[in-house]
Amino acid sequence: MQHAAGKLAAHELHNARLGLWLFIVSEAALFSAFVAARYLNLGTARPEELNQLLGLAITTVLLLSSLTAYRAETCIAHGDRAGFLRNTLWTILLAGVFLAGVVVEWVEAFHYFPPSTRFGTSFFSLTGLHGLHVLSGAVLLVGVYLHGRRGRYGPGDYWPVEGVVKYWHFVDVAWVFIYPTLYLVG
Amino acid sequence: MKDGKLADKLSRGARVFGALAVLTAVEWFAASWPAAVLWLAVIALAKTALIAEYFMHASQLVRPEEG
Repeated sequence: MQHAAGKLAAHELHNARLGLWLFIVSEAALFSAFVAARYLNLGTARPEELNQLLGLAITTVLLLSSLTAYRAETCIAHGDRAGFLRNTLWTILLAGVFLAGVVVEWVEAFHYFPPSTRFGTSFFSLTGLHGLHVLSGAVLLVGVYLHGRRGRYGPGDYWPVEGVVKYWHFVDVAWVFIYPTLYLVG
Repeated sequence: MKDGKLADKLSRGARVFGALAVLTAVEWFAASWPAAVLWLAVIALAKTALIAEYFMHASQLVRPEEG
């Protein structure tokens, strides 16, 4: 429940954070199942045709987006609205670059290991599941950006920003495991 | 001008990103080391710990004043 001023009481904020962490843990279980399926189905085998440079590039882009998301949250927590808006916008742009990279990756993957192949099944399901999370995170970031532009949020009143940014970091953590699982192992 | 506390936190974020970038570079080479799966798992866990603690403020759950 939000108070008239929009601020959450300390116990409400704690409960909101706990709820989000529980959601993140359940999401982590989902990703773990997909990662485990890759090893169960294929062991450590991987095709030579994987575009290693592209994989490394989009990994770096996602890591960079975690930094800009962190900066956005930190800025609004300290009342720097311009910094919050600038960094949120950068995070959204980097999300777009990441998704564009995944599209390029998919075009190549369809040629070398389509979804009907064993590696293709793992590759498309893992990158597809993750891509949907990136897309939903980007939509949420656009939401807090637009609210922020209208003057919402400020020091002590930025739980929506914190929640979205935490979710964004989780999306990054998921890729931390997906990247070696698909590109490096083997 | 940014206040000192904000500048400190932004600087900490940059250092964490630097550590994550270094670990990603190490990961790239670790893929060809013996027992690569083990090394890659250790590096992924280290990256997760950095993100969870410094970017996601995981310790806020037990120490609400943190962050």
